[in-house]
Amino acid sequence: MIEVKNLTFSYGKDKQALHGLNFTVEDGEIFGFLGPNGSGKSTTQKILTGILKGHGGEALLFGKDLREVHTQEFFRKIGVLFEFPYLYANLSALDNLHYFSSFYPKEQLRDAEEVLEELEFKKDFLRKPVSSYSKGMRQRVSMARALISNPKLLFLDEPTSGLDPTGAVLFRRIIENERRKGTTVFVTTHNMLDADLLCDRVAFISNGNIVALDTPRNLKEQNSSHSITVHYQYQGRREEKMMEAPELKSGIPFPYDELLSIHSQEPTLEDIFIRYAGRRLS
Amino acid sequence: MKSLFFLFKKDCRMMASGKFFLVALGSLLLYTLFIHFGYLNFMEDNSNMFNVYLYDPNGVYTEVSPLVLPVASEEELDEALAGDTGGIGIRVKDGKPNIVLYAGTEKVDRHRADYALSLLHSGIGYQPETVGDNTVEMKLRREITCELLFIEIVAVGFLGIASVLFKEKQMGVIRVHAIMPLSKSLFVFSKVFLFLLTDLIFAALMTLFNVGPKEAGGILPAVLIQTGILSLIMALTGFGCTMLLKDFKQFSLAYLVIALFVATPVFLSANTAIKIDWIYYHPFYHVYMGLKNAFFGTPVTNPVYYICIVCVIILLFGIATAAFRKEMGKEG
Repeated sequence: MIEVKNLTFSYGKDKQALHGLNFTVEDGEIFGFLGPNGSGKSTTQKILTGILKGHGGEALLFGKDLREVHTQEFFRKIGVLFEFPYLYANLSALDNLHYFSSFYPKEQLRDAEEVLEELEFKKDFLRKPVSSYSKGMRQRVSMARALISNPKLLFLDEPTSGLDPTGAVLFRRIIENERRKGTTVFVTTHNMLDADLLCDRVAFISNGNIVALDTPRNLKEQNSSHSITVHYQYQGRREEKMMEAPELKSGIPFPYDELLSIHSQEPTLEDIFIRYAGRRLS
Repeated sequence: MKSLFFLFKKDCRMMASGKFFLVALGSLLLYTLFIHFGYLNFMEDNSNMFNVYLYDPNGVYTEVSPLVLPVASEEELDEALAGDTGGIGIRVKDGKPNIVLYAGTEKVDRHRADYALSLLHSGIGYQPETVGDNTVEMKLRREITCELLFIEIVAVGFLGIASVLFKEKQMGVIRVHAIMPLSKSLFVFSKVFLFLLTDLIFAALMTLFNVGPKEAGGILPAVLIQTGILSLIMALTGFGCTMLLKDFKQFSLAYLVIALFVATPVFLSANTAIKIDWIYYHPFYHVYMGLKNAFFGTPVTNPVYYICIVCVIILLFGIATAAFRKEMGKEG
């Protein structure tokens, strides 16, 4: 779906934002682009969505060079959720969706009310102006705008930003549903939980370079110390012991009365990011 | 066409919610009331405001009108004109009257000079040359309608497009249009077209109400063409400024620059005795005079004028579209 080779971009003579990125995104994959603010992830998304022009290197979308695909046909195939919910504040959720969907062919569109219902949007607010909505409601309308045209390729920038935990779970479920329908999803985020739970593969970007790219599981395994912490009770006392995973092969190698918990010391994606990039995600 | 229709519909809603149409209607009513009940009454009361001073050392003219104010010397004539810049001086030399005007007013209406000479010859039935067939009232109506229409389009229209666009900029929705399957220039076109339409309706009503339906019929097509030209230039300039400037504060400064350095010299040069040598190089002077001439039934026919206008509009459209594309790529 997306093939990027040596992608570069500069905002000015001395402000190079991307230093030769290389990655591919397969059809139907959820691909995460993780990086802190200013790392180049939004620039990459803007280039891929045709907002920014003048990049170097090669980028293929839908099998065609990026410089050739930014036609109306291309924009019909993509859906974009921006970092902020950009909506007409004086119009209602339905009016916003009807307006933005009016640029797509009718046969491609989903029903606006149905999409909003899927996003658990409060029905009472359907016809009220966006200016009266909470941040979470605005984010839901923005997501509905991105989904209403049944895109083949979905770009999501910080999809769960501004949502409460229930809303974040709902959004992740909806993104999973999109993938099941065959939609390719390109997620830009610095939320490691979203990346961990959603993405088939993640790329870590730091200062305009991809410093690591793999599945979250592989990244964790490769960076794991394989140590295990065991909490247990012995002779009326609560004890804790750390050991290497292979030591458990032949059972618990020490005396105990009761096992309380066994935890693997797996690093989080954020730990791994710090290891590769030398800085935190947020 | 479908995309343009929906863009246009949305722009209408944005302008309606910003009370733009209401402001335009209010301006129309205010201008009309001012012309009918203020300006015309005031100007008619002051219609005899041109004093005529005569320096006739040999007493050639014996039967002059009592409105003529005789002076005793050339110095006194100069002093009188310096104090009354709208006055007309007549210096009789070798038996012939020479018109003397305050410096800078040489190209003011010929009818003032004729008026002065008619007073000089009042005793022998002198018929002054008739310039145009407008009554004083009709001339005043055409003049003031033209001036107010120019102000409305230059000031209110320019600010109007900015107020709508800054709202869209603040809401960030301009960036959403970057990923919509529509030609980006349609976004610019839709807004400019809406302002053009509004300005044309405004101009038509302004002309009908203030020049009168009978007189308006003959001049309306030319007035609408000149209004359209001015409207397109101002809307595209406003669009470009809104996209390039950060906020309404910066825009207000830009507006002040335009009002002070663009509109003011044009008005001063075209409507007062002030003479500005470089005014012929000022593009707005030609647009303003085009509108004024249209109101007086003598529309511009020079093709060079229209070729230049088309080029300017194409250039401004290109700049506005480029600025719009730049805005779409900005960070949130």
